[in-house]
Amino acid sequence: MNRLVTVAEMTLRELTRRRGVLLLLLLMPLVFWMIRRDSYVGQSIRALFLGISWAVSTAALFAASGARELEPRLRLAGYRPHQLYLGRMLGLWVLGLAVAVPFFLLTVIDANNLRYAGIALAMLCCVAVAAPFGMLIGALLPRELEGTLLLLTVVAMQMLLDPASPGAKLTPFWSSREIATWAVDHTDAGYLSRGLLHAAVVTVLLIVTVAGVFGVRLRRRRHLHHAPLT
Amino acid sequence: MNADEWLRVFAAELHQRRVAVDAARHVVAEAATHLREGGGDPWLVFGSPQAYAATIVESIGTAPAPRPGPVRLDARGITKRYGRRTVLRDAALTVRAGQIAAVVGANGCGKSTFLRICAGLISPDAGEVTVSGRLGYCPQQGGTADFLLPDEHFVLVGAGQGLTREPARQAGRAAARQLGWEADRDVPARHLSGGTRQKLNLTMSTLAAPDVLLLDEPYQGFDQGSYVNLWDQLVRLRDEGRAIVVVTHLLNQLDRVDVVLDLTSSAK
Amino acid sequence: MDPDRRGQWLRGVLDLCVLALLRDGESYGYQLAQALDTAGVGPIQGGTLYPVLLRLQRTGLVTAQWREGDSGPARKYYQLTAEGRAALRQGGNAWLAFVAPVTDIVTKGVDG
Repeated sequence: MNRLVTVAEMTLRELTRRRGVLLLLLLMPLVFWMIRRDSYVGQSIRALFLGISWAVSTAALFAASGARELEPRLRLAGYRPHQLYLGRMLGLWVLGLAVAVPFFLLTVIDANNLRYAGIALAMLCCVAVAAPFGMLIGALLPRELEGTLLLLTVVAMQMLLDPASPGAKLTPFWSSREIATWAVDHTDAGYLSRGLLHAAVVTVLLIVTVAGVFGVRLRRRRHLHHAPLT
Repeated sequence: MNADEWLRVFAAELHQRRVAVDAARHVVAEAATHLREGGGDPWLVFGSPQAYAATIVESIGTAPAPRPGPVRLDARGITKRYGRRTVLRDAALTVRAGQIAAVVGANGCGKSTFLRICAGLISPDAGEVTVSGRLGYCPQQGGTADFLLPDEHFVLVGAGQGLTREPARQAGRAAARQLGWEADRDVPARHLSGGTRQKLNLTMSTLAAPDVLLLDEPYQGFDQGSYVNLWDQLVRLRDEGRAIVVVTHLLNQLDRVDVVLDLTSSAK
Repeated sequence: MDPDRRGQWLRGVLDLCVLALLRDGESYGYQLAQALDTAGVGPIQGGTLYPVLLRLQRTGLVTAQWREGDSGPARKYYQLTAEGRAALRQGGNAWLAFVAPVTDIVTKGVDG
């Protein structure tokens, strides 16, 4: 437990020292919100969710890429793979919540006639999915640039796809859109439960995949045998 | 031969006569202080470096010669191909507790690959490695976190061994001091100079008190003093009974090494 | 004076001289060499002095400690221990008991 928390703490410390990156990450949801603000509130809320998802997954991508060289050493120093990826994820979730809170307050102040519990839940879903999603991309792609471009593609696709189309459900952040509809347009509770279910399934799938990738990368190699000290 | 050169030769003589590292360091420092204050030709003040080293050995004795202990690292038949190019063919190395092994050879002969296979970071196409006890690995570069402070690195690595914060910090700073580095300033790793960063890198690999220590050209960016400190530290660790493998392309330290693996002929 | 002969004599008593010089307070190598020279024993080279200091340290008659001086670089300061004090008393008396008859005999020889 101590190891997991230490990794989480160091992830947070690292990210909070990258002030420039953090500010730019916060800028994106804010800009999304501002641009859509004058038109229809539902649009700006959805854009805001997407902005948060983008910001947190980019942070996760950076954290995962930055730790690529360090992790094998930590493995040798006594960490188990799950302590490394779960610890990092935990740190990113905390960071995501910290990012989401001011934006939640923004919606409370700036818009009315919303189901605020829905807004909060949708933001939680964004954060829950974004951390393992960004980590997975960071673990699979060799450099930050490639990862960022891939993330951009996913977010743009999410934005442009008709949420009702069958393919939209395959995009990772579909849940927040669905819950947003419940929160903004006061539709029936089916939207909420579908959204929550989607977020839960996607988060679990992503965590399992991250576990698989880390497990393979940091596995005990078959050629290396450990003998007891004599 | 000027005073600095005389001191360097003298230090080397003490090492060759197996005077304990710390004792040798004090004797050399004291001679240097004396020369600085009194001036004078070291050959007149102390005599020849060889003779004076012999006198010192008479006065303080030598460190007990380390008897090589049990085998700590045994690599056999290591073969690695990248595509159609065979980088390593049937390479083998056995290192015992209390030994330093140097892995040498021309650029691109697979020195780093061999070390990474020993560390279990990549798989060979054939061959086996057996390691006794804990393994420490210091990569050539990377391996540190740009935005973390030295202390945070120590805490992070220490936690892997179950160390709590303060003991980990203390252990890290003590290990850093052995390399002539005071690691108490709050500077993120990316603002450290190349040599200091490398010291952080090294400190992290010795912090977990590994029984087998694998170092990949650990002196990048080091000045002369740091280089001497590094070898002093390696000899000290060896005398404590660790097994050490150093990848190097500098051969001038081979007299302080117990085993040499030359991979030049292995790459075909 | 014949330096060889002086060297032989010194070898027997340099440790006593050093212990005696440390009686009233700590000192470092270069300062000890100067004090011996000033006292008229003649120039003592570092190559002779430091092995003696190391031996005294190893046998516990003095302790040593690296410290920054008031001015100048860090130096290794030597202090007399209780054992050192006892050795100084014992060895000093033995020396005096030895040197008095030698002086007597030699004085007669020189005067005669």
